[in-house]
Amino acid sequence: MKRPRLNLREAPLPGGQPLAFAIGLTIALFVGTLLLLGAGHDPVRIYSRMFEASLGGPDAWAVTLNRAVPLGLAGLAVAIAGSMGLWNIGAEGQIMAGAIAASWVARIGGDWPGLVLIVVMLLAALGGGGLLAVGPAIARARLGVNEIITTLMLNEVAIRLVQWLIHGPWKDPGAHNFPLAPMLPDQARLPTLFSRAHYGLLIAAAVILISSLAVRYTAWGYELRIAGSSEATARYSGISLSRKILTVLVISGGIAGLAGGVELTGTADRLTESISNGFGFAGIIVAALALMRPSGVAVVALLFGAVQIGGQSIQTLGVSSSVSTILQAFVLFGAIGAGVFSRYRILLEGEAPAVPEKVNQ
Amino acid sequence: MRSKIAALLAVCVGLGFALTGCGSDDGADTKAAFVYVGPVGDAGWTYAHDEGRQYAAEETGVETAYVEAVPEGTADFANYVRDFIDQGFNVIFGTSFGYMDDMLALADEYPDVVFEHVSGYKMNDTNFGNTFGRMYEPRYLSGMVAGAATKSNLIGYVAAFPIPEVIRGINAFTLGVQATNPSAQVEVVWTSTWFDPAVEGDSAQAVLDKGADVIAMHQDSTAAGEKAEAAGARWVSYNSDMRAFAPNAFLTAPVWNWGPRYVEIIEAAKAGNYSPTAYWGSMADGIVDLAPIASDVDQSVVDMVMEAKAAIIAGDLHPFTGPLNDQDGNQVLGAGEVMDDGAMLGMMFFVEGVIGSTG
Repeated sequence: MKRPRLNLREAPLPGGQPLAFAIGLTIALFVGTLLLLGAGHDPVRIYSRMFEASLGGPDAWAVTLNRAVPLGLAGLAVAIAGSMGLWNIGAEGQIMAGAIAASWVARIGGDWPGLVLIVVMLLAALGGGGLLAVGPAIARARLGVNEIITTLMLNEVAIRLVQWLIHGPWKDPGAHNFPLAPMLPDQARLPTLFSRAHYGLLIAAAVILISSLAVRYTAWGYELRIAGSSEATARYSGISLSRKILTVLVISGGIAGLAGGVELTGTADRLTESISNGFGFAGIIVAALALMRPSGVAVVALLFGAVQIGGQSIQTLGVSSSVSTILQAFVLFGAIGAGVFSRYRILLEGEAPAVPEKVNQ
Repeated sequence: MRSKIAALLAVCVGLGFALTGCGSDDGADTKAAFVYVGPVGDAGWTYAHDEGRQYAAEETGVETAYVEAVPEGTADFANYVRDFIDQGFNVIFGTSFGYMDDMLALADEYPDVVFEHVSGYKMNDTNFGNTFGRMYEPRYLSGMVAGAATKSNLIGYVAAFPIPEVIRGINAFTLGVQATNPSAQVEVVWTSTWFDPAVEGDSAQAVLDKGADVIAMHQDSTAAGEKAEAAGARWVSYNSDMRAFAPNAFLTAPVWNWGPRYVEIIEAAKAGNYSPTAYWGSMADGIVDLAPIASDVDQSVVDMVMEAKAAIIAGDLHPFTGPLNDQDGNQVLGAGEVMDDGAMLGMMFFVEGVIGSTG
């Protein structure tokens, strides 16, 4: 039996990504229409609400951008590791670790001036997320232990750690024994840019930009991509694989941790069990749809955020959360996933001469 | 909606503000939205709230809507509430503890919208109140049924999180158990979940394996009941009458009945005279109750439980009445002393007869 495989086109299709995007979106909306009709809803009303709530004005944009920030950073975390062929499935836990570290700073620095406090919180978040990735990084670099398993398992550790803190040492003494961490001090909140959109947007944009440039234009990034495409080549050219694995996974964890710190200072009042809100797992999808290119993450995260916010909003019109989730998946994969076909084609094995493996960029 | 408001405003201006009647006492202008922490599903906490919503919609005639599975402590909650308010909803119910501070802030931001929070303790003076129920009353009664049913004198309690609400339930249940069976003990297993059938089923199995023959629980899933059913043991469910999921194991359940309270809030909002309270309703108010007891339970037990129920409703029986000792034998209440609400709301110790720790 012939197995289908993705094969890189020698040149992108005419019209490229935008055309594929439009076609994919149309198909997705059509399938979604059938779904909505089947569930007894008026598709026009639902779709217009979806658009209204996510992109229909400054307030809507603010909500969408605030959602895109953690998605983008988590996606970047996964994509950076992915550029080297590593899978960081632990962004969810690293987000929590980052939020824990940032909360810790807010606890000790409650009377510091806002700017200092926020900067130190975000640096701590970076460190917290990175720290949670150190174990899997060492295990992978030195012992060859699969990082998918170790990063995934540490998610459980992180959520238990948050629970323990909230139910134990960090429980707000004023909360009548309810498991609540104390609220952040006011000056620990990120200021807003416009409407409710907070400065996390600029932080995420800067980090994504710097990472994309580093991966694409620096020697470090070049080695990363070489190592990602062929271990043998990397070894032959004298790249220290184990050191690369170590640094890349820790950086990846740090970026996810930063997402947790930004989320904490930007949108949450306090450390909670749902601080990561699935962003770490969504980040895997973001990175995959961005084809593991850090530069693609921002656009995908923005669209992902819009789809999520719009998809959530239609629940207020009586669409059940399951139908809404299915619809979000349709739009996401239809619109963004279709972009893959502008650069790749599906071939059955042995059907055509394989184009030489190309380094991800 | 905007044109409606404009029209209303025009009418008000036309009539002059001296004339009354332009308040929102017209039912068509009141719309109530509910934000749930879990999926509605077919049993459990959120299911009970949605039954209440449907009841309230029918009784008051106002339009209602809901969103389900909204996590606590994220931006999602406020996003949904703003969406609802955008669409003209002016009564917002949040049915999970973790929504509390978001609701407090939103109530401040939208002074014309009524916010009612279930299971929290914060409120303001104008448009934000809270509602909860004295679930310990029917918990106590369900304990009486369980105490009479156990033969091994070991009852398993699959508990959610060590917070006062859950601990109060375990203690009330245990005191009920002791009322019918002083030698029975209640072993607590913590799951750290509100809804995770796999974990909750495994935890039930663990106490069943230790010899427990009755299982009580605090989560939304029916998994513990299914394990009890398979083991030939008995089961006290929670939140809603879950007998359909384990017909042979089911004994009874302490259940929520939110409908009448929701009607009360919506009617007050409609009449424009909502004023926030910290409402902790009792079995006498009807917000909590005991589900019908399984038909194979001895009539003498049913009579005893019904007698206790009548006494609680009449105010003659309070589950937390001294003498009462904690797990380690320290006296908490002297003979005849009744625990005050503050002590019950912050309860963080187990009574004698509970096996397990509160942390």
